[in-house]
Amino acid sequence: MNRRIFIFLVALTLQLPTSSVPLFAQAATAATQALDRTKTPPIGKTPELRVPAWTTTTLANGAELIVSEKHDLPLVSFSITFLGGADQFEQAGRRGVAGLTAAMLSEGTKTRDGEALSNALQLLGTNVSAGVAGESGAITFISTTSKFPATLDILADMLVNSTFPAPALERLRANRLVALQQAKAQSGAIASRVFPRVLYSDAHPYGRSTTEESIKAITRDDVVSFHQAFFKPGRAVITVVGDVTASAVKPIVEKGLAAWTAGGTKPDFSYPAVPGVKPTTIYLIDKPEAAQSTFALGIPGPPRNTPDYYALQVMNTILGGMFQSRLNANIREEKGYSYGVTSGFGYGKGPGPFRAGGDIVSAKSDLGLIEFMKELRGIVGARPVTAEELQIAKEALVQRLPGTFASVGAINGALTTLWIQGLPNDYYQQYAKAIAAVTAEDVVRVAKKYIDLDHLAIVVVGDRASIEAPLKATNVAPVVALDIEGNPAK
Amino acid sequence: MTHPRGVLIAGLLLVGSSVLAQKTAINIPFETYTLPNGLTVVFSTDHTAPTVAVNIWYHVGSKNEVPGRTGFAHLFEHVMFTGSGHVPYGVHDKLTEGVGGSNNGSTSNDMTNYYETIPVNYLESALWIESDRMGYLLDTLDIAKLNAQRDIVKNERRQRMDNQPYGRVFEILSNNMYPDAHPYHWDVIGSMEDLSAASEEDVKNFFRLYYAPNNAFLTIVGDFDPAQTKAWVQKYFGDIPRGKPVPRPTVAPVTLQMPKRLSYEDRVQVPRLYIVWPTVGEKNDDRFALAVLGSILAGPRTAPLTKALVFDTQAAASVSADQNTNEDVGEFFVTITPRPAHSLAELEAAADAVISRMQADGPTAEQVQKATAGEELSFVRGLESNLGKAFQLANGAAIHGDPGYFRTEYQKTLAVTPADVKRVANKYLTGGRLVLSVVPVGKADQASKPAESQSVK
Repeated sequence: MNRRIFIFLVALTLQLPTSSVPLFAQAATAATQALDRTKTPPIGKTPELRVPAWTTTTLANGAELIVSEKHDLPLVSFSITFLGGADQFEQAGRRGVAGLTAAMLSEGTKTRDGEALSNALQLLGTNVSAGVAGESGAITFISTTSKFPATLDILADMLVNSTFPAPALERLRANRLVALQQAKAQSGAIASRVFPRVLYSDAHPYGRSTTEESIKAITRDDVVSFHQAFFKPGRAVITVVGDVTASAVKPIVEKGLAAWTAGGTKPDFSYPAVPGVKPTTIYLIDKPEAAQSTFALGIPGPPRNTPDYYALQVMNTILGGMFQSRLNANIREEKGYSYGVTSGFGYGKGPGPFRAGGDIVSAKSDLGLIEFMKELRGIVGARPVTAEELQIAKEALVQRLPGTFASVGAINGALTTLWIQGLPNDYYQQYAKAIAAVTAEDVVRVAKKYIDLDHLAIVVVGDRASIEAPLKATNVAPVVALDIEGNPAK
Repeated sequence: MTHPRGVLIAGLLLVGSSVLAQKTAINIPFETYTLPNGLTVVFSTDHTAPTVAVNIWYHVGSKNEVPGRTGFAHLFEHVMFTGSGHVPYGVHDKLTEGVGGSNNGSTSNDMTNYYETIPVNYLESALWIESDRMGYLLDTLDIAKLNAQRDIVKNERRQRMDNQPYGRVFEILSNNMYPDAHPYHWDVIGSMEDLSAASEEDVKNFFRLYYAPNNAFLTIVGDFDPAQTKAWVQKYFGDIPRGKPVPRPTVAPVTLQMPKRLSYEDRVQVPRLYIVWPTVGEKNDDRFALAVLGSILAGPRTAPLTKALVFDTQAAASVSADQNTNEDVGEFFVTITPRPAHSLAELEAAADAVISRMQADGPTAEQVQKATAGEELSFVRGLESNLGKAFQLANGAAIHGDPGYFRTEYQKTLAVTPADVKRVANKYLTGGRLVLSVVPVGKADQASKPAESQSVK
């Protein structure tokens, strides 16, 4: 049979000579028959969605434990995820303390100094990462199966016994200040700092960024307090995915984390009201001689738990979620103004932003803005959603799912997300049905509801000398000049 | 960006591709054969998820360009996404990203590859698309398509290099490490002037010479049926004619007789120092010890460069050390970002002191052990990605004539000894090197030894 003629190359070191005779007569014959290349090949049967199974239980200290077995490779993905993050646990004048505290977990414990921790992890061939984002934080590692218990022991030591040495804090602080300084030269970093500030203001956690002032203000006491308040089992889920059994993993984790005692509750994620929206305005931040202008256009959006979630996903996929979405098809592929433009929703526990944007060649900044606005007007009704657009967007969203359960890390993320967002256990099984129910009318309805063209913030980081007048001349909106922190420019 | 049809950073393809081991899981089972027209085919099945990765690797990159047409291989990569004889523009995206998959391409100095990840029921259509652009790209090519991609690529250059702090560094280093007309003298992205000059005729000639099946390697990895897929490969690729023999550029090895010092004023807030030595490429086994040397010197806080510069003296905010390996050449990079009030000259001297000690004493056995202890984990993690495996198999087949070269690579990495590391540190990290100071505009005096440094634009 055909399969025999495959050459299994394990034992060979050289490639086959390219002049070799046809390897299999049957297929060579097939090639002589006329092939009609104009016909798209038939599409096979849609593969079945295989969602991994998992178990849940609660540890003695109150942390929840999710275990999902996957035995094809000797790998384990381990994470402790905390509900709540910098937006809940940082004071306004101390932005950055969450990240510094996470970094300080590697600086030494009661029995191991920073070098000893580093040496131990290097010899295990792995690394423990800790980080805190806006609304959640996590300590994670991926190890080979055999190194899982030893790595967990080190993680537990970092979590429970860290000593937060003052000199280490000074070193980390100094390096953060260098990174903040470097970011002042980066258009994308400037836009990502100013855009949320314009949308939410300093009065809302979503509007605040880490600054030089806040980093300088953080004391060792702030770090110790943050550690004590934040890293608590009462708001944590432990997710273990890979080459383990649920029955074996619970005692390993109980033992490994024995010193991590109960405490902590889940935050309620109450946020202050978003400041009143302002009429659409262009906020221009000068980046002298910039070759491109970085655009961020948007508005505060809905939380992840909005009933409009599925319609919004379909809408955004049509607008700016894919390569052939309207924004990129027009501004990159047709006009050639950019290397790529996108859009998306920030979906969090609160009103995360809708943001569209990308980098536009400086000389086309005005024309780029006109096209952004044209596509936004289009999606809210001016350009009807076609049946094909709707079908492709839905297909892309649904068919993406089976491939997302391929790695232990991805499965860990998928299961932990259910927990963070409070989604039902059959969320992935029901996803296709929910997407299928979205209609073209839904798409326009949610676009109109959430993309309010009269109240957009349009942040542009670019060469003010050459782009300000052309941007004004578009008559899209008035131009207000800001500095790189988002304060009125002098 | 979300949709980079873009430049592959030199050497990126090989990161984490050191592989395979004694343990049972350390393997990528594969089968390979060659079509009569010269197309090399490699299959590897993995039934973890109902998806498949298709990768076509063409043995052509920026080193095949000629002065005056730099950036052409990458510009051509973009043209390959504009539709072909029987596949109208847009269909490719519909049948990949539009069904939950993805597609992309990348260009390096040495190669250009095109790939899709797709639900397995779209495998046949992916082969139809890839074969059509291999066989029939020119049927629908016109100057308008070329011009559209030219504008996009110029924006790619602006976004990745011209408007990015430190973004032009690798272009400057290539220009100065390799002599004029040397195949590695220019950066993959090319110059704006040359991008403007590329003609429709250039595209046609380039395609006919390099995009033939005898210069291509097709790897398919995932949840597919090999017998069925073999028939499809024959059906779609079998009738594409073999091309002419592909010329390979002559690549002279490069050594620098003395230090070459450069200073570049960039729109940055913080200066940065790059020390770069010419080393070796893919086919020279010293690259394994050089890669281990990089892992030993910098990274974890116990690594001597990191320990001395970032922890003990705290003169630097960060330091890295890496061997970058291309097919025919390589470089060893040390990159240092200072803390305020510490000069690049001070940091250069501090790094040299650490490197001199490494050259005199060599590393300890434990340092080598720590540097390679992560290899098994990184190999096994690589097995989780169909696309990653497809890249590895293609790279081995194309450059080493063996899709299973990942095993050799893994074994040679684990076999590196302290004596090997000491030897390559002495052999390559000599006075013949480039030292590039990137300083803020108007701050030429912040360069390391400014009087001896040539200012570059």
